[in-house]
Amino acid sequence: MNYKELTEKLVDQCLRLGADAAEVYLQSSRSLSIRIRNADIETVQESSPMGIGFRVIVNNRLGFSHCNDFTDRSLTSTIERAIAFAKLTSPDENNVLPGDKGYTEIEGLFDQEIQNVPMDRKINMALELEELALKDERITHSSGSGFGERETETFIANSNGLSQSFKSGSCSISVGVVAQKGDQRSTGSESSSKRFFADLDPLPEIAETASQRAWEMLDPQPVRTQRASVIFDSRVSSRLIGGITGALNGLRVMQGASFLGDSMDKQFASDLITVIDDGTRQRILGSSPFDGEGVPTARRTLVENGVVRNFYYNTYAASRAGIESTGNASRGGYTRIPGIGTHNILVPGGEHTPEQIISQTRRGLLLNSITGSGLSSVTGNFSGGAAGFWIENGRIQHPVRGLTIAGNAEEVLYGIDMLGNDTDMSRSTVVPTFRVREMQIGGV
Amino acid sequence: MNMKKFPLRSIPRRKFLEMSMKGGLLVAATPTLLSHLVSCREGTRPAIEMDKDTISRVIRKALERGGEFADVYLENRISRQISMEESIFNSGVYGIRQGAGVRVIAGDKTGYAYTDEINEENLMRAAEVASYVARNSQTITPVDIAPAQRESYITVAKPLEEIADNQRIEIMERANQAALGYDPRIRMASISYYDQVRSRIIANSEGLYLSDELPLLMFIVSTLGEEGNNRHMGRDRLSHHSGFEMFEKTTPEEVATTAARESVDMLVAEDSPAGTMDVVMENGWGGVLVHEAVGHPLEADNIAKGIGAFTGKVGQKVAADCFTMVDDGTIPNERGTINFDDEGTPVKKNVLIENGVLKGYMTDILSAKQLDMKRTGNGRRESYRNIPIPRMTNTFIQKGDDKPEDILASTKNGLYVQSLSGGSVNSVTGMFNFTCREAYIIKNGKKTKPVRGATLIGSCIDVVTNIDAVGDDLAFGPGNCGKGGQTAEVSVGQPTVRIRGINVGGSRA
Repeated sequence: MNYKELTEKLVDQCLRLGADAAEVYLQSSRSLSIRIRNADIETVQESSPMGIGFRVIVNNRLGFSHCNDFTDRSLTSTIERAIAFAKLTSPDENNVLPGDKGYTEIEGLFDQEIQNVPMDRKINMALELEELALKDERITHSSGSGFGERETETFIANSNGLSQSFKSGSCSISVGVVAQKGDQRSTGSESSSKRFFADLDPLPEIAETASQRAWEMLDPQPVRTQRASVIFDSRVSSRLIGGITGALNGLRVMQGASFLGDSMDKQFASDLITVIDDGTRQRILGSSPFDGEGVPTARRTLVENGVVRNFYYNTYAASRAGIESTGNASRGGYTRIPGIGTHNILVPGGEHTPEQIISQTRRGLLLNSITGSGLSSVTGNFSGGAAGFWIENGRIQHPVRGLTIAGNAEEVLYGIDMLGNDTDMSRSTVVPTFRVREMQIGGV
Repeated sequence: MNMKKFPLRSIPRRKFLEMSMKGGLLVAATPTLLSHLVSCREGTRPAIEMDKDTISRVIRKALERGGEFADVYLENRISRQISMEESIFNSGVYGIRQGAGVRVIAGDKTGYAYTDEINEENLMRAAEVASYVARNSQTITPVDIAPAQRESYITVAKPLEEIADNQRIEIMERANQAALGYDPRIRMASISYYDQVRSRIIANSEGLYLSDELPLLMFIVSTLGEEGNNRHMGRDRLSHHSGFEMFEKTTPEEVATTAARESVDMLVAEDSPAGTMDVVMENGWGGVLVHEAVGHPLEADNIAKGIGAFTGKVGQKVAADCFTMVDDGTIPNERGTINFDDEGTPVKKNVLIENGVLKGYMTDILSAKQLDMKRTGNGRRESYRNIPIPRMTNTFIQKGDDKPEDILASTKNGLYVQSLSGGSVNSVTGMFNFTCREAYIIKNGKKTKPVRGATLIGSCIDVVTNIDAVGDDLAFGPGNCGKGGQTAEVSVGQPTVRIRGINVGGSRA
């Protein structure tokens, strides 16, 4: 079936059935997942999900429906359900669809090679990865390793003449292990997800990271409740930045549910912090030629040296704010109405190596795991469970776990006083290590 | 299941259309599978017999290369989601999702494939793909499938198919008005309504053939309170496997008022202190703490792998004497109630820990076989796109003898946790964490100031050994549970309890 023609034809059908404006979003995917444990296959799953979503506007009212049965009868009745819903929702003049603004040319979103790699080789990679991760004698169990791949074709057409499509793919490999010592158990895992098969990180590197993460956290020692420096390593630093980007969502700002709502062009954080959203990076997972409703993606600076420079919007929120969409419509598949989200978040690195940051910390916590909510986009306050290493006089002393850390927006965000240079540009989210001068740490 | 091969008789379809029309719906979207399912339920024999033949062929195909178990799962889900923010109905979403999956188990290996388009050709292909893992293994001859009977714990007085959409809208409007009318400091309310009817057919190589239909409702009210620079998002949820009569037992106004009260009361909250404290947890949704901290580690998949925190501890004392924990999928109409799990095993009341002694784990077919234990009816899956894994249903701490007011009065200092947002656990290490949405400082046995941003953290073994008071006021709360990339609808239950010495995180010393 020619899906491009189908989506265009269905837009016309929506209009015929009573919609004033309509958008048809179709996704067709193929995926494979292999799980290995204890040197044998645990699961092999293969699938080819597909489906279609209809967004219709009738008298400024919005209706949405989706189905994954492509028979004429089902498609027609699903459209009719969307139109029926659109007669019940509230009129809002901001319910508009984007016009055709073209797309952003991005190289390397699809790797034909992935599906050409034989099944046996994929299985053997996962087998080898598990074996490597179990090599260290401190590692006692495997939680399993795996290989996964997915390719997706996306088609969007709307009644403003927009008709776009693109094909994208990804593959990933991962492993998890356990280090048991007496009654103590510690887990470690690592994965590599890339658009290109050839870009996957080397197996020994992935295995060693997973293994080290498990054994290095054995024999933790308690620390007392106190205020001290907290170093967010690059595994967890994005959790804090995620709270900032969540607060720059244009709709949340208009709804008064963001702690940065009144901060446009104002300083709210340390001038070390710059945050860029870039949906156009080549060969990177979060990139795409257009967003979830067909608006071209771009590279935009959200925060510049601690100052808010831009909020981000989809078409609805932009119309409400009286501006143009920034190409930030997110879409959780064909079953979802477009939301608002970022593509690839990048925080440019600073001048210190992570080792220098540790050696210049008199007393504090090197954080490698955060659980819980993290930084709240509504209040800007930070709170969460924490684990990592305790630092005294610039040296790592011992692992710590079961701690809590907390701080209010001002002390955490202005408190960022050292920024690492460890930016791994092969990832979608790139946030280096940084230090917060002082936070409340809850221990014994 | 191909339409051409199995001509639908007009009766069941017309009946379904009638039902839909009665509800004022403009069109009855009756996808192929649903017609079959409806007809199966109503006992229209020709369609069933044809279906069963196809399914039998698929099961035989799945075991052609080896394997000791195979099953076929067909599902159709019709859902409606309406959301309201800032007094505007900003979206209505109607969805049909259907598909079928074929699974083969050979030793510890599982092969799985699914198709979105249900016909014999696709199911045969899925069976072939799923059988990949069973190459060169021993095989069995599948038992001929025959319909089985299961008890039902879900009653429906007002079927969702008969409810007009404007009745749904009216429920939401009532909640919105109640929330905004509660206090001028309520700046925004957002109301989310969701319902679905999930129809399942499960058939396996042990000869099982089952079908049913599960209605589910979920209603969420979130309110934003604002005063000066202080803001608080309050929330309340209501969810049952039930018909629309759910809103007669608990009104939308009650849900809205609970959320609004929290938003307003928490506006004067101070930053939470940090350190080790005694915690009194109010009854209801607080049970999510044991769901995460004890429930997940008692799911048998990690036990079968030998890595779960409670591995090898059956029969051992693992918790305080006053602690009894149960997973019960049979509680009438609860959110976690299912008549049988997604592998067809009947749900049961499973006592997991009794007076502190570990009694058993929650199993699915695979882990029960690996551990040589009974199937407990906990093999659940998010949809036909996922394989079943051991999951909880309604999990709760059995009520005790203490009066909630006595538990508070006898706690000199500590933290009174009225509601939790949610949390997570590493089921291998047993380390958990939770964020409190509403909490109060306890001073001299009394609730005093509210505090914000409190985090609870600890190890599951510590929590269950440090519970020293269990109230007589068991209550339940609805939630979504995520595991292995799959979401399951569950409920958690708990009477008021006291846990000694939990590490509480906050921004004050």
